[in-house]
Amino acid sequence: MNIKPKAQKTLLALLLGALTISPSMHSAALDLKGVVGDTIKKELGQSDTAPTSEPISATSTENVQPAAAEFNWKNPSTAEEIALGREIAGNLLGAAPLVKDAELQKYVNSVGRWVALQSERPDLPWRFGVIDTEDINAFAAPGGYIMITKGLYRKLVNEAQLAGVLGHEIGHVVMKHQLKVLQKQQLLNIGAGFLKDKYAKDNQLAGKAIGTGAEISARSLDKSAEFEADRLGLSYATRSGYEPYGLPEVLQTLGETNKNDGSVALLFKTHPHPDERLVALSNAIGSRLDKVQAGKTLENRLYKLKD
Amino acid sequence: MKKLKMLMIGFYLLAPLAVMAETGSALKNDTLRKEPFADAKSAGNLARGESVEILKKQGAWLQVKTKKTSGWVRLLSVKRGASSGGGQSAGVLAVASGRAGTGQVVSTTGVRGLSEDALKAAKFNEAEISAMESYTTSADAARQFANQGQLKTTTFANLKPAAGGAK
Repeated sequence: MNIKPKAQKTLLALLLGALTISPSMHSAALDLKGVVGDTIKKELGQSDTAPTSEPISATSTENVQPAAAEFNWKNPSTAEEIALGREIAGNLLGAAPLVKDAELQKYVNSVGRWVALQSERPDLPWRFGVIDTEDINAFAAPGGYIMITKGLYRKLVNEAQLAGVLGHEIGHVVMKHQLKVLQKQQLLNIGAGFLKDKYAKDNQLAGKAIGTGAEISARSLDKSAEFEADRLGLSYATRSGYEPYGLPEVLQTLGETNKNDGSVALLFKTHPHPDERLVALSNAIGSRLDKVQAGKTLENRLYKLKD
Repeated sequence: MKKLKMLMIGFYLLAPLAVMAETGSALKNDTLRKEPFADAKSAGNLARGESVEILKKQGAWLQVKTKKTSGWVRLLSVKRGASSGGGQSAGVLAVASGRAGTGQVVSTTGVRGLSEDALKAAKFNEAEISAMESYTTSADAARQFANQGQLKTTTFANLKPAAGGAK
């Protein structure tokens, strides 16, 4: 336990109290404006290096001021969000590297970028990758890093389905679902005084912020966040000109997978059951798709895995 | 050789029949319609978990046959796959009735592949993340790619959660 000035301790206790009694942890973490900001700055201390990120195009509407020396957990800039996502995605790739097939990777980036262009954050430097594992899953990290496993890719029968899956992950990034979880956790950690020493010694701010490895990728989001990502994924794919049923079809396929099959263990643990997601999606759609003109499925263009 | 070809043609001819014989089960209570339109006359009801035979797909609609009747129902009201007796229906029911509650996680244990432990133990890989970044596609290139596939954007507002339900 760190020794702190008494006043600060009291403030932190109040903050923790506020977080605990709040009905929505997410919004509480985000709504604690000035007070938390100051506390965080004190707690984080000086960091030697700013998280780096690639420049974003001049037409970008994203907040791209360079990442500051201190990671602003209260209101991270886009550059900070991307730096954090890079760290998480890099860790995930440490667990499962990319499939060594440049054509496949480029193809997935083409589909993903096209779908992302129909989202509310078209200007992020979106990156997509197929990772080499037979596990069935897909991941999103803040700032636009999205990965789909070879195991899931194998289940797809057309490009519209790929667009739906990537759309779901794009939805997570657009809504900053993972970022909000990290913010919440970080503000709580800071409040509890767990991080002071670590931060003083460590200049890899983003790295330390996310805990060990790609742990965040193994964590569940709120069910409501998954349902929201499903709705957004279907919406983006539909706007992109694809047949809207790509994502529901994949959910159907996943629903048919035996849940004792180890390849879906993590997916089933971290997501509501596919049947439940289908019902939620079906209810949200209602009659909305009745008048939408038929989109493309492009089964012939779906890139075929080499093995 | 010729025989094989004939056989293959035969297979392709039969394939649609195989699709038509597909079975499924109702994901939720819904009304069967006499035609594939929301305002078509009712042809009866479909109960959650009820097994159906899928006859045909047309746009957003499936023509299905139940034990009692047949009609058109929205695509997403039916889950594909064999409904072996009451087993699967029970599973669907359990999930759809919200038995899972409001908790976030339905817990099972990951034992292999990209497990929780594997993810926790993962070490940052700079070479791989750089490679991933090298494959990124520009917006213009993505538009060109969409053109090649004759993908045309359409207007479609983001779906909202269904009224009345938390979902």
